Amino acid sequence: MRIYVLRQLALLIITLFLLTVFAFCLSYWFPGNPVTNSSGIFTDDTLRYTEAFEARGFDHNILVQYWFYLEHLFRGDWGISLLDADPVFEQLKLRFGATLEIALLAMLLAIIPGIAFGVLAALNFRKPIDHIILSISLSGYSIPVFWFAQIAILVVAVHWGVLPIAGQINPLFHIEPLTGSILLDIFITQPENIELALRSAIRHIMLPVLVLSVMPMMLLIRLTRSSMLDVLDKNYITSAYAKGLSTRRVIASHAIPNTMQNVIRELGSMLSLLITNTMIIEVIFSWPGIGSWLIRSIYERDYPVIQGGLLMIAALILCVHVGLNLIHSWRYPQVRKDLNAAS
Amino acid sequence: MNKLRHALNLGFAAFMLSACSPAPETEQSLKGLLYCAEGNPESFNPQLVTSGTTLDMTAAQLYDRLIEFDAKQQTFVSALATSWEISNDGLRYQFQLRENVAFHRTEWFQPSRFLNAEDVVFSFNRWLDTDHPFHAVSGRGYPFFTASGLTELIHSVTAIDEHRVEIRIRQQDSSFLANLASDFAIILSAEYGQQLLAENNAWQMDSQPIGTGPFQFSQFRKDVMVRYIRHADYWREPAASEQLVFRIAQSDHKRMLMLLTQDCDISPYPPARDIQWLRDKPEITLQDTISPNTAFWAFNTERPPFDDPRVRQALAHAVNRNAILNTVYFDHAVRADSILPNTSWAHHATPSAYRYDPELARSLLAEAGYENGFSMEIWALPVQRAYNPNARLMAERIQADLTAIGVQVNIVSYEWSTFRRRLGLGEHDSVLIGWSADHADPDNFFRPLLSCAAKESGNNRAQWCDPMFDELLSAAISSNDLDVREAYYLQAQNHLAQEVPLLPIAHSVRFQASRQNIQGLELEPFGGIQLRKVSRQSVNSEEQ
Repeated sequence: MRIYVLRQLALLIITLFLLTVFAFCLSYWFPGNPVTNSSGIFTDDTLRYTEAFEARGFDHNILVQYWFYLEHLFRGDWGISLLDADPVFEQLKLRFGATLEIALLAMLLAIIPGIAFGVLAALNFRKPIDHIILSISLSGYSIPVFWFAQIAILVVAVHWGVLPIAGQINPLFHIEPLTGSILLDIFITQPENIELALRSAIRHIMLPVLVLSVMPMMLLIRLTRSSMLDVLDKNYITSAYAKGLSTRRVIASHAIPNTMQNVIRELGSMLSLLITNTMIIEVIFSWPGIGSWLIRSIYERDYPVIQGGLLMIAALILCVHVGLNLIHSWRYPQVRKDLNAAS
Repeated sequence: MNKLRHALNLGFAAFMLSACSPAPETEQSLKGLLYCAEGNPESFNPQLVTSGTTLDMTAAQLYDRLIEFDAKQQTFVSALATSWEISNDGLRYQFQLRENVAFHRTEWFQPSRFLNAEDVVFSFNRWLDTDHPFHAVSGRGYPFFTASGLTELIHSVTAIDEHRVEIRIRQQDSSFLANLASDFAIILSAEYGQQLLAENNAWQMDSQPIGTGPFQFSQFRKDVMVRYIRHADYWREPAASEQLVFRIAQSDHKRMLMLLTQDCDISPYPPARDIQWLRDKPEITLQDTISPNTAFWAFNTERPPFDDPRVRQALAHAVNRNAILNTVYFDHAVRADSILPNTSWAHHATPSAYRYDPELARSLLAEAGYENGFSMEIWALPVQRAYNPNARLMAERIQADLTAIGVQVNIVSYEWSTFRRRLGLGEHDSVLIGWSADHADPDNFFRPLLSCAAKESGNNRAQWCDPMFDELLSAAISSNDLDVREAYYLQAQNHLAQEVPLLPIAHSVRFQASRQNIQGLELEPFGGIQLRKVSRQSVNSEEQ
């Protein structure tokens, strides 16, 4: 196990290293001046340009430049936006918190019903319940998220008028953004009308999270169902029944844990999908996350922001993948054995 | 097996219930006003900008001017100056300042004194005097003052005593008071300036603003909101709302939905196609005003082929503006046949110069040597303005019209601040933009838009500089006789009809939608929006 953990961590570090090399090279590959592309300072601002030029080691060879690049990276100096001169790292911190907030909540919201319905469908294989769940999940999976968002806004917010459609909270509450995640910020800043503020934040968060959770929920249903069907076919299930265990015991302590093995492995790829969807949802619900910010930076060729965003998202997805791999092998010894045997 | 299924079903039902139960509308009791703005402010100092978005969010909220223009009475009224005298030769203006006017008291600045003449001199010299310590701060220049010629016109601004200021100008100018009453001529705090210089933080002047206005700055989060709180010691009646929050939502459709879901109380520039629908909603109040504005299509006359007047005339004749009025404005506008709005006394329409005639357009193009056409860019402004509810759609219509005369069009758009920056650099072929009056004087539509000074300040969207046109303008402003001025403006408009540096498209009605429980909201024909008298009525009568 220790070797496996070390190997995974080494893999993570090497990939992150390659990622930084790639991000560093982007400054050269993007059109224009590499100093401007990495620092966000225009050449006509002579004083600060020379400063950035020296600080980033552009008078030395490329290896030294990369070293200085790493140093800036770890210091949290990711340059400033070409558009509005805001420090990229500061913006990224706040916006990333907001993005993670709805992405994680949506994931949590998706997991319980997703797995439950998957199991339910598998247990009723080829019965009406199975067909209903399957067809709902298929249609839910094929409908794009922006369409769901529009329908949700029209029906729930405009027609029924029960939920707001923009932002994290009613802006009349003065919550100082610290982490970017509105719920955390409320707990940290402890405003006097905290209960009202929390209620407002939850009402704002509901629609985007609900809409966002549809896709992973449907995926999980299908995944759980097919994985469960595989497991139910296995000999150890038959033998468990033969030993006289109740259906409930068989399902709860033999079928479901083994089903989860496959499901957990797929959670990582689901997260990548989820992050992309989150960006779309953020634009629709005016959620102040990285979504609209990155989309605009791409559109306006704001290179420091593109680099920062790329690095952050790629690093997140990498870490989650490695983390899931570790959990996976820690929870399921046979996976570990397979891995060791394969190497 | 069955039990398990039952448990799962129950669990799911409970989950769905908990997720969907609506919370009671207690947020409605929060005090404050939500105004949905169409873009980020570029700065918190209106001296530095010309965009209406920024003016709306700053000028009348954070600052005051010496005098104001009352559109109903058609006169200038006192603001920070209680009275003013003009010398007989019209070259010296003396202003008596109001006493006991307090500046904002905030965490970053505690004023030790009331407004006095020093503040006025400081504020004017910031844009007048290139040696002023704050002149170069934030490096944007002072486009309105440069373009309208004020920097050239004013000789000096001096304090006579603590509450008297004298402004000397170089020649008579009939639009001078109107320019002083515009949203740009605001008064800053000299004491704050000194504090910032001492702290070596001069750049804070425009991002953490201090003024005398009804609201004071509290928080700005880009793309999310701007928060102001009531200025308790305001010299007029204090603002009716404790808090004023500008939420930033670029899409007009989104703003309209936010108004319906009570995410906003007031929303400017609702989508033209939905005006009728909004009018029928009982919970929404829709206000409109004939605000003097003009949407136009400016050609970059420095770039070939637009340096040839025949090409510009051809393009003007190729566009079916009546169709645009219908599809883009839904007939909430009238066709513009001059840059000057039809509400102005100096308005002189030249419909023949801009009439729709593709045949003529083609022959003009052929004459200029472009019988096979060419390809060009149209920059469409990315936000909705009073004069143009949907520039993108307008650009598409023009694109279709121009295909008929063999001109290929690329439509270009950037985020608003980038858009303005690039326009200022003159990187465009042509641009769909416009102008809303800052004051009632016709000069406001000529010098800030089409003079050589405007070109230098990066505000002349046609990059057009014609000494003869400039002469007409200066002749017009140096007289106080309306008939004389009108004659000059007539010549100026005829000259524009010949040269066509821009094609006037429409004078539009300005709309503003608000929730029905919003009180005290008025739509002024000139300048930025006033929000100090606006408040939200308590919800009792409004509960759904």
